[in-house]
Amino acid sequence: MSLCRYLPVPSDRMAIMWTLLGVEDGIVLEYGPAGTTHYCVSLFAQMGISPDQNLFTTHMSEDDVIMGDVTRLENAICEIDEGYHPRVIFVIASAVTSVIGTDLAGVCKYMQSQVSARLIPVENGGFSGDYTLGLSKIYTLLVRELAGAKAQSVPHKLTANEMSADKKTAGDRGGSETRKPGTYNVLGASAGAYRISSDLWEIEDLMRRAFGLTRGAVLGVHSSLDQLSAMGTAQVNLVLRREALEAARYLWEVYGVPYVYGAPYGYEGTQKWLEETAKAVGYEMSLEVKTWLDARKSQAATFRMYASMYAARPHQPSAAIIGDFDTILGFSSICRELEIKPDLCICPHTLKNTDIPEDLDIRHPASEKEQIRWLKSLEYHLVFGDDVSLHLCGGTNTGLCVSFPLVSHVQTAEHLPFMGIRGMDFILETVDRYYQVLE
Amino acid sequence: MDGDKLIGRMKRLADVKNIKEVTPLSSAIFPGSHCPLMGAMMAVKGIRDSILLVVGTDECTYYTKNTTISNSAFGGLDGRCLSVVLDQHDITFGCRDKLYDAFSQLMEEYSPKAVFIVTTCVVEITGDDVDSMAEDLGDIYRIPVMAVHTEHFKTENHLPGIRDTITACFSMMEARAIEKTVNVIGQRMGDFSTTELYRVLEGAGVSIGMKLPGGTTVEEIREAAAARVNIVVNPIGLPLAKKMESAFGTPYVLFDKYIDPERIYSLYGQLFTYLELPLPEKVKQLYVQAAETVARAESELRGITYIYGNTPVDCFELNAFMTKIGMEPLLIQTNAIPEKGDEKLEAILERYNPYVTKTANIAPLQYVYDVLKPNLYLGHEYGERLRAKGIEIAHMDLVSPMLGMETAITGIGELVRASRAARELEKGRNIR
Repeated sequence: MSLCRYLPVPSDRMAIMWTLLGVEDGIVLEYGPAGTTHYCVSLFAQMGISPDQNLFTTHMSEDDVIMGDVTRLENAICEIDEGYHPRVIFVIASAVTSVIGTDLAGVCKYMQSQVSARLIPVENGGFSGDYTLGLSKIYTLLVRELAGAKAQSVPHKLTANEMSADKKTAGDRGGSETRKPGTYNVLGASAGAYRISSDLWEIEDLMRRAFGLTRGAVLGVHSSLDQLSAMGTAQVNLVLRREALEAARYLWEVYGVPYVYGAPYGYEGTQKWLEETAKAVGYEMSLEVKTWLDARKSQAATFRMYASMYAARPHQPSAAIIGDFDTILGFSSICRELEIKPDLCICPHTLKNTDIPEDLDIRHPASEKEQIRWLKSLEYHLVFGDDVSLHLCGGTNTGLCVSFPLVSHVQTAEHLPFMGIRGMDFILETVDRYYQVLE
Repeated sequence: MDGDKLIGRMKRLADVKNIKEVTPLSSAIFPGSHCPLMGAMMAVKGIRDSILLVVGTDECTYYTKNTTISNSAFGGLDGRCLSVVLDQHDITFGCRDKLYDAFSQLMEEYSPKAVFIVTTCVVEITGDDVDSMAEDLGDIYRIPVMAVHTEHFKTENHLPGIRDTITACFSMMEARAIEKTVNVIGQRMGDFSTTELYRVLEGAGVSIGMKLPGGTTVEEIREAAAARVNIVVNPIGLPLAKKMESAFGTPYVLFDKYIDPERIYSLYGQLFTYLELPLPEKVKQLYVQAAETVARAESELRGITYIYGNTPVDCFELNAFMTKIGMEPLLIQTNAIPEKGDEKLEAILERYNPYVTKTANIAPLQYVYDVLKPNLYLGHEYGERLRAKGIEIAHMDLVSPMLGMETAITGIGELVRASRAARELEKGRNIR
């Protein structure tokens, strides 16, 4: 990939930043040139993150770069500790400090004795990979460093079989009696996922109505240190994206919190997700939610009928999905529910070490040019993607923005999810529009 | 944070000789200054048929493109801000192959008249010789290709990025016969054709040549040496103006955004002398109007205390003017200290010796307000938060698109408005 005409895929460091800024009573201190910090503020604002009073930079001079002098980092750590009294300071590397090889972990180690706040170094400078690597690293680091179990659960070493499974239920192992009943955590919600606040709102409503559970921590989005610290006491962990699986496995292994991996997309997907959650918590979903879902599922039947009607026409119902791996999984299941064939799935991030379902052709473009060619060749498709991808698709397609980056609109509403029952209600409006223009 | 401690760290203006001696308010900064990469982006925005090619990390390239997308001057999403994103391999083995490949695609798809290859911090550390690559690419594709270096660890803010980009344009210029035109160099904000200075020149029959970076083309830059005089509207334009003076004999006038009517009147005189034209009657009328505005404002502004943050007006000129009419600076935030003996610096020190610190660090400033208790803050801040502390913001950004006496008339008007509001806040504070 050489020439980049649009927006590059965000780096590991960017994802680490937007995740740590969601830790409400921690402070993020960047060791690097100030311009990057100032520049990132507008992107974070698009994501709904306000870094005022919890993001700082040290800036760097030429002397610091040449001589490796870390005095200004030491001073900044002391000032923040004394001036703001945070419980945690995340000390983040920059591209510059990564290249010159600053030993952030070493600095944090010897500075720890001089400050009250806990110092946690994060040494990713943006060269380790894309944002999914950053998310994976920071989710794991947060639970390892900050999660505890106030209910004093007994640590348990997982067997190989237990580790290999992606779903752990309450019956899989003992210790559930030590957990605090009535709460769940969300792992893998990212500020970098479009409409994540709306999706969390929908999940909160579903979990309350289906199981009477209330939300504990949301790892990486608006969670306090107390909430993160209590993660080991929840009844279940809901893992929305694969980057949080390692963190979920850790919480299962150490605190015995079972987890469910997957997100509730579509009516059928929501039902399946609720059933799996029911297994994990050990009781059935409420009749109220079951009835609500059944009523809504009849709507999807109408759209399946449209699909069969249009199957014999010049342009068969087809979809393209552009987004994170888990977004693709979610929207492809919606397409299956509606009997629309997703014949182009583009994942901008690396798919290394990813188990791709056999029935899905998910592509990672070798270059931006290739991705542009794929998108420009689309005709009469229902396109679920980001603003840039939708911009590149021709006018015969019907699009819905479902992921970042946003370039032609803003994210304001917190009650318009893609997930859950309301999410599918909303998506069906776009599907209906698609059929109105499909020839 | 302890405001008294923060103040204890700061030096007084009389005690510093240069910006290196100015202590920052804290080592932990938010939001920090903009970087020269952003400055380069702002400059290339104004050169309509050129391409900005950023060479840097995902992050630097992402933020730059993201900033240009909503800007029609760049052509929006499909616009002329492009990038070469470096990965670990490029850092280790150099960016040459990737840059050349990207450049070939760029030429095929965009056919630009000129390309600015803008390098970022990491490239400057690894030491890729982008200057020679730019020269080579220029030879291969027979268009001007200029390298601009924007490492932030060598600069205080984004202005060097604008300065270096417009200075790089010198390589495109060719000798020309002198005509009755002027160039406008260094305009960062606004449209020159909406300014008083433009109206005055137009009224005198003077046409405008190159407006760099205010809005120009590669062809206009090539023809720039035909100007009778260069009007430098910000010091960032001085290196280019000096090069042009040396190479083509083009004189220049530094006509920044000033607030003192006397100074502005004198610059108009200097400009029209170079143009070999009489000073227009309109300038004299505007001068009288501005001088009357000052006379009326003095009684309202005298005794008003302030903290200076950042404004579009020349920092020390504005502070010298305000102290001259009786306002008291408690703290000046700046990115540069004039040399000892500078008339503006001396004018301030003659009456006051304020604290001085570096700009763009509003987080710890919150605690300084409580100790210094100024009436006004000049710069970007959260208005409601300041009003709760009894401080009014003077919105000097109003003068951003202005040049000439209009800067003085509008700027002083805003100081008067803000001072009245501050007095009202003070009454409220006393009542409470």
